[in-house]
Amino acid sequence: MRDYWLSKMFYDLQNPALAAEYRAERDKVLDRYRIGPEVRKALAENDVPFLAQRTNAYLLRYYFFGTGMKDEEFIRRLRHG
Amino acid sequence: MASFAGAFAASHGPLLVREWDAVPAGEKSRLKNAFEELGRRLKSAQPDALIVVSPDHWSNFFLDNYPAVCLGVGAANEGPPEPWMKAFAHRDIAGHPALALHIVEEAMRAGFEPSVSHRLKLDHGACIPLWRMGLETLPKIVPMLLNSIEPPMPSLRRCLDWGRLLRQAIESYREPIRVAILGTGGLSHSIGEPTMGAIHEDFDHETIRRFSSSDDALISYLEDELPRRGNGSEEVRNWLVAHGAALGRGFELVDYLPVPTVIVGCGFASWRVQ
Repeated sequence: MRDYWLSKMFYDLQNPALAAEYRAERDKVLDRYRIGPEVRKALAENDVPFLAQRTNAYLLRYYFFGTGMKDEEFIRRLRHG
Repeated sequence: MASFAGAFAASHGPLLVREWDAVPAGEKSRLKNAFEELGRRLKSAQPDALIVVSPDHWSNFFLDNYPAVCLGVGAANEGPPEPWMKAFAHRDIAGHPALALHIVEEAMRAGFEPSVSHRLKLDHGACIPLWRMGLETLPKIVPMLLNSIEPPMPSLRRCLDWGRLLRQAIESYREPIRVAILGTGGLSHSIGEPTMGAIHEDFDHETIRRFSSSDDALISYLEDELPRRGNGSEEVRNWLVAHGAALGRGFELVDYLPVPTVIVGCGFASWRVQ
């Protein structure tokens, strides 16, 4: 299953300017996308497995790389939540 | 008429740039030698144009429209958009519109329907091999973006057929130029999945071996194995295009080594085309 708007935000966040804005004012950026409350909560909690079910694996990785999560931590969360 | 100058394949991966300094010396030396050897072979083939077959890592396409195959027919394409690829010297990469349009026309005539773009961003998938191969001057690049990132993907057999089609299109192009093909990506790796970091050496070695067997043996093995060998392994489609263009004659393995630091089973190949 693909959550279009979650995926769209991940795709757009490859733009460094938007990524910087997201780091500074996350809610302001999130408000531009039709992202549901459950997904928003998962983003706030870095719930990697929940998000993994809703987007492409490459986009997922780009997002967490962009937010500064180390690969070791990303992989740990992918496997164990 | 144009002539087919050669077919090559090389792995790519962001960590070949971002974690380059962390790659152990012995592995780094082999990677450097393999890329440079491939670069020497490509240069000695003296291509006027190079068809680079790679995936689009969400640089041009999104879920709104993700083509199975897109050919770049523009006079120029853009260098990689990834910030960590800034050191790649080529930012405006010359295309070969006449050859690219000829390939599109031949494809349409043969029952293939590629998407076309007059300006593409060539991301790390295309540019890391070109960079590491040490090509100071690039031949004109015809990008062929083949979806191995977001399902549904082209069938493996279709990728072989694309290679044969490229060969036929090259050899029917009226200008006396030399055209080579570079497939990039693979071998085994896994990105953004619970298996991320896994390299399947057994799969990689058997895949390499099967490139010297029949098309049916190669395809049936890959069809069976790819679903459990990591999503990055799907990029072997680009090797199949090169293999088809070389008319399935098998390749010389320049090197293969699993590199945990860059989380890729790295393969380098040069097809026998003479």
